[in-house]
Amino acid sequence: MNSRLARIGVMSAVLAIVLLPIYWLVSTSLKSNREITQEGTLYPHVPTLDNYIRLFTEKQFGAYLTNSLVVTFFSVAIALVAGSMGAYAIARFRLPFAMERKVGLFLLTLRIVPPVVILIPVYLLMLKLGLLNSWLGLIATYTAFNITFCVWMMESFFREIPVDLEEAAMVDGDSRFGAFRRITLPLAAPGLAATAIFAVLVTFNEFLFALALTATPRAMTMPRGTATLIGRIDTDWASMAAAGVIGALPIVFFALLVQRHLVRGLTMGAVK
Amino acid sequence: MAKGGTQIRKYRLQGAGLDLALPYLMLAPGLLIVLGVLVYPLWDGLRASTKVYRYGSVVADAGMQNYIKLWSDPQFLNSLWVTVKFVALSVTFETILGFALALFCLREFRGIRLLRTILIIPMVITPVVVAIVFRLIYASDAGMLTAISVWMGGGQVQILGSPVKAFIGLVILDVWEWTPLMFLILLAGLQSLPHEPFEAARVDGAGSWRVFADLTFPMMRPVLAIAIVLRTIDAFGTFDQVFVLTRGGPGEATRLVSIYGYDTAFKFQQTGYAAALFVTIGLVVLALAFSAVRLLRRVDAS
Repeated sequence: MNSRLARIGVMSAVLAIVLLPIYWLVSTSLKSNREITQEGTLYPHVPTLDNYIRLFTEKQFGAYLTNSLVVTFFSVAIALVAGSMGAYAIARFRLPFAMERKVGLFLLTLRIVPPVVILIPVYLLMLKLGLLNSWLGLIATYTAFNITFCVWMMESFFREIPVDLEEAAMVDGDSRFGAFRRITLPLAAPGLAATAIFAVLVTFNEFLFALALTATPRAMTMPRGTATLIGRIDTDWASMAAAGVIGALPIVFFALLVQRHLVRGLTMGAVK
Repeated sequence: MAKGGTQIRKYRLQGAGLDLALPYLMLAPGLLIVLGVLVYPLWDGLRASTKVYRYGSVVADAGMQNYIKLWSDPQFLNSLWVTVKFVALSVTFETILGFALALFCLREFRGIRLLRTILIIPMVITPVVVAIVFRLIYASDAGMLTAISVWMGGGQVQILGSPVKAFIGLVILDVWEWTPLMFLILLAGLQSLPHEPFEAARVDGAGSWRVFADLTFPMMRPVLAIAIVLRTIDAFGTFDQVFVLTRGGPGEATRLVSIYGYDTAFKFQQTGYAAALFVTIGLVVLALAFSAVRLLRRVDAS
């Protein structure tokens, strides 16, 4: 009885700590600036959606979201295709000089280096190529980051799938690549999903490179656009809160929808 | 059986024509992108770190000068110190809280699913938005702390204006955002521990503290180590949250190396110097990661 009470107590405390900040964000987004700064209310007394409307009519938030969706979709899609092919080659073939192992280790090392380390040269590269402030520049950058991650994840998923199945397909006249495409890849679908989910999360949330590589609503992603909003209108708390809600909503919704895969992908690499 | 399988595989590998080139063809697209967008820039960054730039173009060779200057630059040394403090404090709290929560949630009980679902939220919210949330909590005029304080009859609460409070505020933000990740990794680790030793201990009548100290903790050491390493590496690169929350201020109280490097490169246009700074940070993190891996191997072996 006592331990049950303690359990409920701890749980409520944890939920309160997690949810209170989120409550404050949402509640602020529904207040007017006057109510926020002058009355300091604990909940919106005069709830309004004006802040949200202003974001889309005056602050080009729609463009930021579109850019985020386009950039995330293409960089994750390309990385999944290129990454899973690469992972398959590493998992299944023996190459001269144990190259498959060296390539794997090399990609893992790249993954560990903090992205900030290559910020300046990537900026200089995109400057040289004329890709600053463009979808293509962001897509190229994010694709490269996602590939290192996809190869690493997919390799371990491919290793779990028995080779015999591919061999059976090849005995039946399928080509090696055909066996990969028709047998192994579908079997690795859960792994592919977990990998995609992770890549989507990281890419959608990325800020540093978006900050350095974009400058106008033409290519600014959602996190980047949100940060601009903060700089430009220093004390427009209401808009800031609304931008926060809209920035968080799609990704939180997405994450809760695919929760099972998320937890698997998260812990797989760490615990195995 | 296994041997036969290997032979078939080899035979297939050394088959004719296209099959022979297949692994290379499959590796090529990914490697080309990575080489072009990550490795070439990495190399370019190394080169840039030995040059002096003015407004984006090279004006002189610096040799190792940028690197030498770094270690007598009080601003860099301060940012490094702030980063080390930030990482140490955040990761320590996240580990302790995450481990406690994981132990708490080990037994299935009503509501645990809900708890896990809600705990996912902080770590998937865009870091920039997390920073906005905490600005809305800390702000002296519009903040939640002020609102609560006023409601209880107090005055304004000032967090981001004071160096110490702003730094603590940043640590709290990080703990809020990343304790859930620690929790998930450690919970998965706990769930994968074998049952037998625990049953034996129960038969022997061991108390829960003994079980924790003699069984759970030693068995969890590798998982704990991995979780701490992962979090430490990530925390070293923290940028977004600070950029939005404090921009490194007040003064230099929350100016992590990433922020200092960014400002050096893009605000002060000292491209070569900033490149040297980032290369140094990259090396530090890699050294950290590799020594952690070696340490882990030793833990595994013992």
